[in-house]
Amino acid sequence: MPTRVITITSGKGGVGKTTTTANLGVALANLGKRVVVIDTDIGLRNLDVVMGLQNRIIYDIVDLVEGRCRLRQALIRDRTTSELYLLPAAQSHDKSAVSPADMLRVCEQLRGACDFVLIDSPAGIETGFRNAVAAADEFVLVTTADTSSIQDVDRVLGILETEGRQVVGLVINRLHPQLVRRGEMMSPDQVVKMLAIELLGVIPETEEVLLANSKGLPIAYDLGTLPGKVYDQMARRLLGERVPHRSVLNKSPSVWQRLSFWRRG
Amino acid sequence: MANSMSIKGTREGLTITLGDEELGAMLQDLGRHLGMQEAFFRGGTVALRVGQRALNVEELTRIRDLLTEHQMILRTVVSANVETGQAAQELGLRNLADSMAIESTEGGEPTEMPPSRIAHGTLEGTRGTLVHHIVRSGQTVRHTGHVVVLGDVNAGAEIVAGGDIVIWGGLYGTAHAGAMGDISAVICALDMSPLQLRIGELVARPEEDDPRKPVAPEMASVRGDRIVLEPWQKVRGV
Repeated sequence: MPTRVITITSGKGGVGKTTTTANLGVALANLGKRVVVIDTDIGLRNLDVVMGLQNRIIYDIVDLVEGRCRLRQALIRDRTTSELYLLPAAQSHDKSAVSPADMLRVCEQLRGACDFVLIDSPAGIETGFRNAVAAADEFVLVTTADTSSIQDVDRVLGILETEGRQVVGLVINRLHPQLVRRGEMMSPDQVVKMLAIELLGVIPETEEVLLANSKGLPIAYDLGTLPGKVYDQMARRLLGERVPHRSVLNKSPSVWQRLSFWRRG
Repeated sequence: MANSMSIKGTREGLTITLGDEELGAMLQDLGRHLGMQEAFFRGGTVALRVGQRALNVEELTRIRDLLTEHQMILRTVVSANVETGQAAQELGLRNLADSMAIESTEGGEPTEMPPSRIAHGTLEGTRGTLVHHIVRSGQTVRHTGHVVVLGDVNAGAEIVAGGDIVIWGGLYGTAHAGAMGDISAVICALDMSPLQLRIGELVARPEEDDPRKPVAPEMASVRGDRIVLEPWQKVRGV
């Protein structure tokens, strides 16, 4: 299978690009795929923290493109899965330290060496976004169900469509099922209809995800949780499996889920 | 001081007719005019009518650069002067002899058409553009004629038309019909939930305490000095 380079982007910040990248990476690796995740948010790196790898960084992407190290030296292996690697962003420098041509070169080296390259894009539609977009074959967009975030994703979609790029799916993140039920938040159906793209998955806002992020252990490792299950389904959908979407709306957490949450706490 | 320079919007683009005054003063005047109405002219194509005036390459370049500054494209030079004609050709501009022959020119892209019809009068047979896809946030469709969109116009998107706007889908963004001052223009949409509607110089925004109304096709038009919305059923008299 040829390497698929997928950029995860959103326009707006804080909607969960990094969380999505980390968890899709874990979920794909769990399915036996070899995955490299790249953080392109130079100057504001986060992906390493979410994956719990921040204390293992020796070289970063700026070192790599400026020739201070080789690709293999910059890749950090995940703590849990041997099939998952991180290419971290630099915390110093800014977005201009890397160019779209650099990204193309890096991804060219990775093609053939792994199954998936997931690129975590910074917020915005400027330099950093351009870098993240340059090398990608496909795109996954992330939004929350609020109007500003949807409008920004719409903008990004417009840009990508104008350039003839392929958007594979939408992740609706941080959904509050109760607000949707009360009619105070757009439902996933409404969001998908508005944006007119394929839905990849819906992640409800839960404490589990937040805690997993701060612990540096992506929730996708825990298939006992609802978000963990959804990330697994998203990975399967990326691989072309037909997985029906289950509504996250009409289901309050089961007793069993409450209990399992207790145990982890 | 009288200045016989004129700017006219047509369905096909903008026609600028130069007067007999000194070029520098006239260009200043032109710049001021364009600056005031930039929002609409932006991205448009221009036909320049110079009459008998002789313009060399340098002077024509000045005019072109001024238009470019206002994000407009000089496409055509209409002149009765040989020197001007040659200069236009040298700059790769379309050069037309100033005669009634222009009126009969047909075919090609609507935007490349020389000006032949003035915006006033019947809308019948005027040109338009058909947009075959969803118009997303940040995207703008501008046309001096009518605009028809097959798909939604999302929040943050903008349609600006010299004539009417018909949206076979939902209007959630901004639509400006009759943007060159034609207040007989209308805006139609299957789901009319715009951020803002404009017809001519008038601006309307939907009442914010409007409860979620059932989705039905509606048409916006000007009555008196305000924009009114009516269900399409009623417009048709059904």
